[in-house]
Amino acid sequence: MVIAGLGVIAMLSEIFSFKKLLYPLVLLGLLAAAVLAGLDWNHDTRIPLFGNMIMFDNFSAAFTIVLSFTGFLWFIMARDSFNEESSLTDHYALALFSLAGAVVMVSFGNMTMLFLGIEILSIPLYVLAGSRKTDVHSNEAAFKYFLMGAFASGFLLFGIALVYGATGSFDIPKISLYVAEHATNLPGFFYAGVLMMLAGMAFKVSAVPFHFWAPDVYQGSPTTITAFMATIVKTAAFAALFRLFSNCFIPAATTWSGVVWTLAALTLLTGNITAVYQQSAKRMLAYSSIAHAGYMMLAILAMNKFSATAVLYYTASYSVSTIVSFTVLQLVAAHKGSDLLESFNGLAKKNSFVAVVMTIAILSLAGIPVTAGFFAKYYIFTSAIDSGFTALVIIAVIASLIGVYYYFMIIINMFFKESTDDSPFVIGAAHRFLLIVCTLLILALGLFPDIILRFWI
Amino acid sequence: MQAGAAAGSAIDYIPIALMFIVAVGFVAGTMYVTHILGPKRQTRIKQESFECGIEVQGNARTPFSVKYFLIAILFVLFDVEVIFMYPWAVNFKQLGVVGFVEMMTFLAFFLVGFYYIIKKGALKWE
Amino acid sequence: MTVYLFYLLSFIAILSALMVVFSRNPVYSVLYLIVTFFAIAGHYVLLNAQFLAAVHVIVYAGAIMVLFLYVIMMLNLNTYNEMQKANWLRFGAVVSGCLLMVVLVGSLKGAETMQPGAVHDANIGLVSNLGNVLFKEFLLPFEVSSLLFLAAMTGAVMLGKKSIRS
Repeated sequence: MVIAGLGVIAMLSEIFSFKKLLYPLVLLGLLAAAVLAGLDWNHDTRIPLFGNMIMFDNFSAAFTIVLSFTGFLWFIMARDSFNEESSLTDHYALALFSLAGAVVMVSFGNMTMLFLGIEILSIPLYVLAGSRKTDVHSNEAAFKYFLMGAFASGFLLFGIALVYGATGSFDIPKISLYVAEHATNLPGFFYAGVLMMLAGMAFKVSAVPFHFWAPDVYQGSPTTITAFMATIVKTAAFAALFRLFSNCFIPAATTWSGVVWTLAALTLLTGNITAVYQQSAKRMLAYSSIAHAGYMMLAILAMNKFSATAVLYYTASYSVSTIVSFTVLQLVAAHKGSDLLESFNGLAKKNSFVAVVMTIAILSLAGIPVTAGFFAKYYIFTSAIDSGFTALVIIAVIASLIGVYYYFMIIINMFFKESTDDSPFVIGAAHRFLLIVCTLLILALGLFPDIILRFWI
Repeated sequence: MQAGAAAGSAIDYIPIALMFIVAVGFVAGTMYVTHILGPKRQTRIKQESFECGIEVQGNARTPFSVKYFLIAILFVLFDVEVIFMYPWAVNFKQLGVVGFVEMMTFLAFFLVGFYYIIKKGALKWE
Repeated sequence: MTVYLFYLLSFIAILSALMVVFSRNPVYSVLYLIVTFFAIAGHYVLLNAQFLAAVHVIVYAGAIMVLFLYVIMMLNLNTYNEMQKANWLRFGAVVSGCLLMVVLVGSLKGAETMQPGAVHDANIGLVSNLGNVLFKEFLLPFEVSSLLFLAAMTGAVMLGKKSIRS
């Protein structure tokens, strides 16, 4: 039950300032939240809670599991990076709050809950992005993220207000009913509202005309926080976007599908092409995450019975691969003191384990077969073709070919270039555990894609 | 906050509007009148701002500590919290025990936050 | 009579909002913003939403504006330097702003003929009605918002505390 999960998460963060035992407690709590969400599986009907404020169905249960598990992995990853700072517990608390917001976002049943969820997700992140207080880049990241996020929230709120004005309700089922009944004579400002909500959400997922904040923010924030933004925020935002559009606005699809089409195409091309020119691996991953937003837009556009699964599968595989790549990036950057692509030179010789793991993660991001990323892309594409968006799929395939090029630059650097120094590269047990688990997940998802899919259709 | 005025309408606010007009008018009026009536003897020393007889150093626009800002922002948070209590207080009887429990849950969250603030020493000056 | 009041308040609101943007001195901007807030509070009263009007004055014109002033005082404003923005950027901003306006005006134009979705209740903005809705139907958002406040508190303390120590 989502509330229980929320309660666990919130309560955990309360004890923070008093106990050092917090860390294992957080991990256990997140696993428990995932299990609780799993127990709620397969109630065929939706469980409306608190007068439809929250609608807990299979969709939200699945995404809650993905989110809490990603959170679990993230906490393992983040362990070392906060230890030296005095405000360790603050970081944990904020990350947990943010996670709670994400859970609200994937299970909202009312526009107010959507908005609150987004705010709870974002506000801790504004702070976390700036948590390296003496670093100018971190400050810049926090500031840019905050300003852009505030604008996005404003747009979203204005959109919600217009939709409310047109339909007379905040309640998702009621709106959907109204839209279905009055599909032909909806007032013009209803469409304006839908488009503004789309713009607000596009800010959050960094789709292309609204992506300008993303590279700077991703690069400036501490690497762990960047990993959080790239995984949990993106998953939650896409789940919310999908939920919103599939539940509410399908009858009005003719207005927004063209817009989403353009957004997706622009995002795919800009993200992938710009990523090729990056010197810094972190910035490259930022652009790659923009590009991945483009692929997921395809599923929202397609909007058939298969696309919910496609989004779920994509976010899961993308999150796991991203966690691995950011962990390795963080380790390498700590080792070399820079996050340029050259820092990866000769990694395979120094620590072949890390190099192999990184290779698998990157292959998954690029969408090479046997990894999870391949099937993720495959499902998205088939779902889009089913709905007749062949032209866009062709663009996406071209874009992912470009993607393969820059992903391979890292692999080439790792395996075929010599490092300039030969200090040993060692990693701790926790990170080793994390990398092994993630890699197994990537391979498992890639080899047996139906472990997620079987539950659904 | 007129809680009791059940069928209030904009007309009921004329006294308040009047009060605003009088208040603003009084301030503006006195300022204008003193300006007119007072003697004008403009020297350089007269033009300086009065700092209890101490000579002015620099100007008023100096950056000041973030401490004030932290206090202010915490104040805003608790201010908003109090706002939530108005509609609760008005409906206190009607909402009964359930409403009470609801509000106490809400307040419990805030008290935890308050405890956290004190514990962290955010309100300590120095 | 309320119609004239509406036009008067709207005029004040729009005028002072424009002044916020065009004032060279940021303190003047803040003062004009307060005027805007009061005008909007007046609109709330006209809509019979007294609670919102009071809250608007207390929170926005009172508390938030103090924060604005603090921020302005924290910035060093002795030297006045406006960043030179590229011309195409300005042009783009103007064009997109105008486009947004066209879209909004166009979409709201047909609004007066349509049937309102919700039945209008004149007393809906009164404090007691609002309380009933807030504590019954919108209970969960209310409680969840406390989580939001908690997050904001933690964040504020975390960012603000360092400056106390160093």
